[in-house]
Amino acid sequence: MNEDEKERKLLSLLAPRRSEAFWAAQRARIASSAAERKGPARAWLLAPAAAAALLAVLLVRPQREPMQTEPQVVSAAFIEHLDLLDDMDVLEAVPEEEL
Amino acid sequence: MTDIEKKGSESPGAANPEGAFTLIVEEHQRLVYGVALRLTGNSSAAEDITQETFIAAWRHLKDFRGESSLKTWLLRIAANKARSYWRWKKLRTWFSLSDPANGDEESPALEDLLPDDPRQRPEQAAQAAELERRVQAAISALPPRQREVAVLRAQGLSGAEIAAALGMAEGTVKAHWFEARKKLEVSLREYL
Repeated sequence: MNEDEKERKLLSLLAPRRSEAFWAAQRARIASSAAERKGPARAWLLAPAAAAALLAVLLVRPQREPMQTEPQVVSAAFIEHLDLLDDMDVLEAVPEEEL
Repeated sequence: MTDIEKKGSESPGAANPEGAFTLIVEEHQRLVYGVALRLTGNSSAAEDITQETFIAAWRHLKDFRGESSLKTWLLRIAANKARSYWRWKKLRTWFSLSDPANGDEESPALEDLLPDDPRQRPEQAAQAAELERRVQAAISALPPRQREVAVLRAQGLSGAEIAAALGMAEGTVKAHWFEARKKLEVSLREYL
């Protein structure tokens, strides 16, 4: 068997075979569904919307990670704040008349 | 190109949309169902995809501009719906709605596989069911892109048509088909 014949045989195996009654019943179902058209969509057909929502959630998550470094920023600010308080102590120690 | 497919400005459903729709379904249902079945491995999902593909085509028939062939357009819709099906299955797995190990492959009914009553020929019916199972298992074992290319190739599409339907380069289609064919020949060697 040459390569072309082998490929043809393989392709014919892959194609699904169904009875004529099956195709007729399917046509009838599609026709009636097209006539209704208002029926609810299958749940899995909403998958793109669900996937988009999930992606949005996942994209938001990494943005939270930098917030974990916040304590360092706070502690730096806190030290500055303490310095400021020291200055305030000095200021408080100065009599009002001298200000 | 068929008589309902037209290149140019006139859409196939312009004059008589219902008649055009019936013709489109009749002419392409085997193709669309074949692709949906082989891509999902689930006969009831394939039924749904086939139906939804034609409903989507029905809704947008007037917008079809004939830039691609109708066949390619329908198969692109079907392939996208099959991808949605797999995304939905993955989502269900993530949310533990189903056990991923417990696949929901659904075999077709025996009466759908044979042209007449399978109870009259139980041996032939069993052989047809076994062949169907083996072929589906071989296709399902392929990586997604190879599977898509193989399934469209099995429906008689050329490399250029497959490239248009799947949105990939023709060279990529050839490479995928080369790999898929090697694997399928090994899996199905006893039938070749």
